[in-house]
Amino acid sequence: MKESKHPVLTDEELLMGLASGSDDALGQLYRRYFPMVLHLVMTNTGTEDDAKDIYQEALIVLYEKVRSGSLELHCQLKTYLYSVSRRLWLKQLAQRSRFMVRDIESPVSDDVALDHLSDDLSVHEERDRQFDLMADSLDRLGEPCRTLLEDFYIQHMSMQDITEKFGYTNADNAKTQKYKCLMRLKRLFFSEYKQ
Amino acid sequence: MDEERDIENALHAYGERIRFKQRLAKIHAATDMSAMRQAADSYQSSLESSGQVRGLWKTYRTTLAVAASAAIITTFGSIFLYRSYQQSHKQEQQYSQLSKEIQAVKSSQRKLWSDLNGRGRALSLNPGQVAGTGFLITGDGYFVTNNHIVHEADSVYVQSNKGEVYKARVVYTDQSHDLAFLQLCDDSAFRPMPTVPYSFDARSSDLGERVYTLGYPREEIVYGEGYLSSGTGYRGDSTAYQVAIGVNPGNSGGPLLNEKGAIIGIISGKQTTSEGVSFAVKTNYLLESLNNIPADSLKGQPIRLNRKNALANLPRKQQIKRMQDYVYQVKVFKHKE
Repeated sequence: MKESKHPVLTDEELLMGLASGSDDALGQLYRRYFPMVLHLVMTNTGTEDDAKDIYQEALIVLYEKVRSGSLELHCQLKTYLYSVSRRLWLKQLAQRSRFMVRDIESPVSDDVALDHLSDDLSVHEERDRQFDLMADSLDRLGEPCRTLLEDFYIQHMSMQDITEKFGYTNADNAKTQKYKCLMRLKRLFFSEYKQ
Repeated sequence: MDEERDIENALHAYGERIRFKQRLAKIHAATDMSAMRQAADSYQSSLESSGQVRGLWKTYRTTLAVAASAAIITTFGSIFLYRSYQQSHKQEQQYSQLSKEIQAVKSSQRKLWSDLNGRGRALSLNPGQVAGTGFLITGDGYFVTNNHIVHEADSVYVQSNKGEVYKARVVYTDQSHDLAFLQLCDDSAFRPMPTVPYSFDARSSDLGERVYTLGYPREEIVYGEGYLSSGTGYRGDSTAYQVAIGVNPGNSGGPLLNEKGAIIGIISGKQTTSEGVSFAVKTNYLLESLNNIPADSLKGQPIRLNRKNALANLPRKQQIKRMQDYVYQVKVFKHKE
């Protein structure tokens, strides 16, 4: 129903919507290519949940590329998403000691596009590691530091709101607390990350 | 300070991803999964259809292989057969008999034939169709040429290098050795000539022997010389010699003489595929054929060949001068089909 209300967007428009954070564009994109990945994963011994995870991860790869402004498409968006999903699913399968997928589409095959795909995925892996590490570090940071940082950096709450929420006497005090928490997080994060 | 910014960036990225994941989860929750499943089930990709082809290929692979090899064998087999047939056919054609189709030189012939006696005039109304060479074996008018020249002839005329034309009668033909014997004395205009100056050498000649011939590849008598290059003829034919001598259509039936002026053979043909490969029937087969002539064909008088060679000690030029009167052009008239 939603799609009939809005004009069908081209791949170009979808990517622009994705960059600007439009929910409508993301919704359309999501629904447009999900059946393809669902079909791919299901024909290769995966479940619906596997398909969802793989597809969402592929979209994260795409999203982070778009947000960092470093997206270079050397093929159709569809092929890009298929190839990324395929690689990610292959990785999953390798962990289950299977090394083949039966293709339902042709993945990227020319050298330039393959290079870029590999680059994108290694960047993604790095980011994945950072992400996991960050989640781990935040866990180990303990309260109230964790919530404070999450509120400020992730929920984008204002310093004033945080002061009130945590019952600090003033915003400067809250700032100092936040800075101390950040320094602790830094130590935790980099002690792992640098290794 | 750098690390501070790094950790802030990492936190921002972390937050960004978490929010994006939340958005995705929301969208996924709002997505009609049964529609997605249906779409996935009926998902048609370009590869699926080629997968069907691949399936067919797998099923019929062996059948296709058998059919393809059968086709290949048939194709190359028939090409091979055809080629070998062509090859053998070509070899047949490599041997060309050196009789000359006159039609091509009709006009020049007419000029030459408007000569004395008025005989040429009569002939020019119906010019010959095949021409060759021949020579007298006796002074009284017995004459030899190739069978392929007079084959199926309606009438045969011989013309001397002086332009005198005589009618000839075919006395005997020997198809296997490609020889034909004619008699000129049938024609009252022919006056017996002195005994032929050359002799007939029936012994087999040695390789490398210098040989020469006289013939009528055109209206004038033409001299050609060469050497004996093989003791056998075309495709190992033991009744002939191979001679390295330049001959042309019209030379057929010409005498092949050695240094001493003895006839060692009769030019009969050449190999078309290589230059300077000609063949001549050996003299002893000429003599053999001569002996086979039925007595009544000769009207009782046996052919007496000249045994004394009058040319032996003459220089080549004199030899030619002496013998060219005995070498004739043979013109054959055939019924046009």
